[in-house]
Amino acid sequence: MTVEESLIKVRKRQLHPAIQQALVTALVLTLSALAALAAKILIGPVAAALIFVLGITIAGALGGVIAALGASFVAFLFYNFFLTDPAFSFRLASSRDIAPLIIFNLCGLVAGVLAGRLKDHAKAARRSNLQLENLLELSRTLQAAVRQQDVVMAVAKAAYHIVGAKISIYRQTSDGLNPLDAPPHDPDRHALAERTLAADSPTREEDGRMSRCLKGSEGNLGVMIVEMSHSDKLDPTFVDALGNMIALALERATFSETIAESRASARAEELKTALLSSVSHDFRTPLTAISASASSLITYRDQLDASTSAGLLRSIVEECERLNRYTANLLEMSRLEAGGGLAGLQTLSVAEMVGAAIKRIRPRAGNRPIQRCGETDALVNANAALFELVLLNVLDNAIRYSTDGSSIIVTIDHVQDHCVVTIADEGIGIPPGDLERVFTRFHRVSRAEAAPRGSGLGLAIAKGFVEAVGGTIEARVPGVGNAGTQIVISLPAIPEDGQ
Amino acid sequence: MTHILLIDDEPSLVAVLEPVLGAAGYRVTTAGDGASAIWRAGAEQPDIILLDLGLPDIDGKDVIRNIRVTSRAPIIVISARHQEGEKVAALDEGADDYVNKPFEIGELMARIRAALRRSSSLLHQPPAYSGGPLHIDFGERRVTVGGEAVRLSPKEHDLLVALALSAGQVVTHKRLLAVGWGPEGADSQYLRVYIGLLRQKIEEDSADPRLILTEPGVGYRLVTPEGTGEA
Repeated sequence: MTVEESLIKVRKRQLHPAIQQALVTALVLTLSALAALAAKILIGPVAAALIFVLGITIAGALGGVIAALGASFVAFLFYNFFLTDPAFSFRLASSRDIAPLIIFNLCGLVAGVLAGRLKDHAKAARRSNLQLENLLELSRTLQAAVRQQDVVMAVAKAAYHIVGAKISIYRQTSDGLNPLDAPPHDPDRHALAERTLAADSPTREEDGRMSRCLKGSEGNLGVMIVEMSHSDKLDPTFVDALGNMIALALERATFSETIAESRASARAEELKTALLSSVSHDFRTPLTAISASASSLITYRDQLDASTSAGLLRSIVEECERLNRYTANLLEMSRLEAGGGLAGLQTLSVAEMVGAAIKRIRPRAGNRPIQRCGETDALVNANAALFELVLLNVLDNAIRYSTDGSSIIVTIDHVQDHCVVTIADEGIGIPPGDLERVFTRFHRVSRAEAAPRGSGLGLAIAKGFVEAVGGTIEARVPGVGNAGTQIVISLPAIPEDGQ
Repeated sequence: MTHILLIDDEPSLVAVLEPVLGAAGYRVTTAGDGASAIWRAGAEQPDIILLDLGLPDIDGKDVIRNIRVTSRAPIIVISARHQEGEKVAALDEGADDYVNKPFEIGELMARIRAALRRSSSLLHQPPAYSGGPLHIDFGERRVTVGGEAVRLSPKEHDLLVALALSAGQVVTHKRLLAVGWGPEGADSQYLRVYIGLLRQKIEEDSADPRLILTEPGVGYRLVTPEGTGEA
């Protein structure tokens, strides 16, 4: 059951306030009439009259001015009928009896009205207090609203609490007015919103619906429509206050959405630049080797001995294979990029991704055992193919820079609201001075000449990806035991309850 | 035997260049990183140095600056980076020329020969330059193209001589500006205008220059007849 439904139910269970009031007044009068009858028999008519005045005052205090007036009229009839002589008749025994009757009546009336007005004021004060409190509460909620949908949710909830009204918000966009929440489409309401916007009116009322333009700093943001669930009138100043607050919150939410969007596209652009410049480097090196080899074979065919020529030919084949590998990588990347950089974000299980990457890299791992440590899992928002590429790059480094038979350990942890993937190896490690620079494009740690070489790109792409989704990546030493490296990738985790 | 120091961190490129340069008659030693390159350049005093700019440990410009402390051997930069800024910075630090990756072996050889020729001409300046149709008599300040005398303004002549003294090698905008307008330099727009005038006087078709080639963003190169470099 939604909040809205339960609210409706509560309202239905309550009786209409006017009927409730009448019942209370009748009860008070009946009790005071019984007491007055008893007092007349036991004490005398004066006490009976005073008890009636008391009854009217109480009815007024409980029910307000209208209840007091009604009570004093009924009491007048009752007093005349039962308590004055002759009893059980509206006639008066003598003209002398008129004076006490009128005085009694006036006393009852004045006391009742005064008590009633007091009650009415207290009620009004309490109601406006409640409205104020609810408005304050709403404004606090709206402050925290980051997205336009949050604004709508907060307003809908508050509207029920405050006035029992249903509020719809229409947002003006380039393709016309659109409802921000998703209620059943109501052509009438939509037409009213259109009319309100066209008239550019502050607050107008039509068939029990109040509508109002939501003014932002740069013109109308949209239209708010308030529908009452019962016939109570809404204070127009209250509707204005509500409208201003919603407009402000909507505008702020729109701004923060725009900022988030432009940040995302800037990140995508950065990643694209990183990929492009890596492509130019990775392709030119094998191309240079191929071009130099082939042109040497043409130019110096006679000067080169057989083994040199064979070596040059072999290097051409090898470099072609390398180019082919780069191309495959590149295709995968551009496939990701096609969606606009990080458009392909989806909820991913980190444990699944790690498992898949380990499975894919295992054929290249030789005799290095790759162990998963623990059963922890977490959900992150990321681009699946790019995330896998990053894990592969890091695992590939762990393999490339370690000896056969050494172990590689992958751990998944929760640290506060982040998921931390640690990939540790037992390899040659990274000098402390290079720990940060390994993430720079084309940076490769200085090695003995026989050491294997990567493209100097894997970790740069990893950093680009991780930072694009709002995470961090760092290299630490040692990895396993006292040797090697660990790469620590921290990504914002999606809370388990799915919020 | 001419000694080449090859500084490159790409094993695949070293594997190709080392035997080919050897077959072309050079003695080749190699270095895989900046630190050992600087040490070897000082200790072995090679005749010419080929330097790949993208070294793993030290920035290429710093390598050049350090080598220049101990060696005057010409340095040819091999760069995968097509950013003009990198090349100009390397030339300003003391490199003599560059080749862009990927290159053909003939292009590299032509650069090596041009660099060696220039470094030997530094010892005893030749009295004249002769390449293709172009002949320059440095002493008499006389220029002929295909035997016909060409009249050049003093500034045009100075620029042409600067190009000819480094024939086959790139000469940066900065150096040419210093030659024509003093160390204060001037707007490179002037240089473009004067090179245009020079081309009108010595090129067959100044719209399609064959002698003075533009190296976009870097400088100009006077083509030597034996290897146009780009051919």
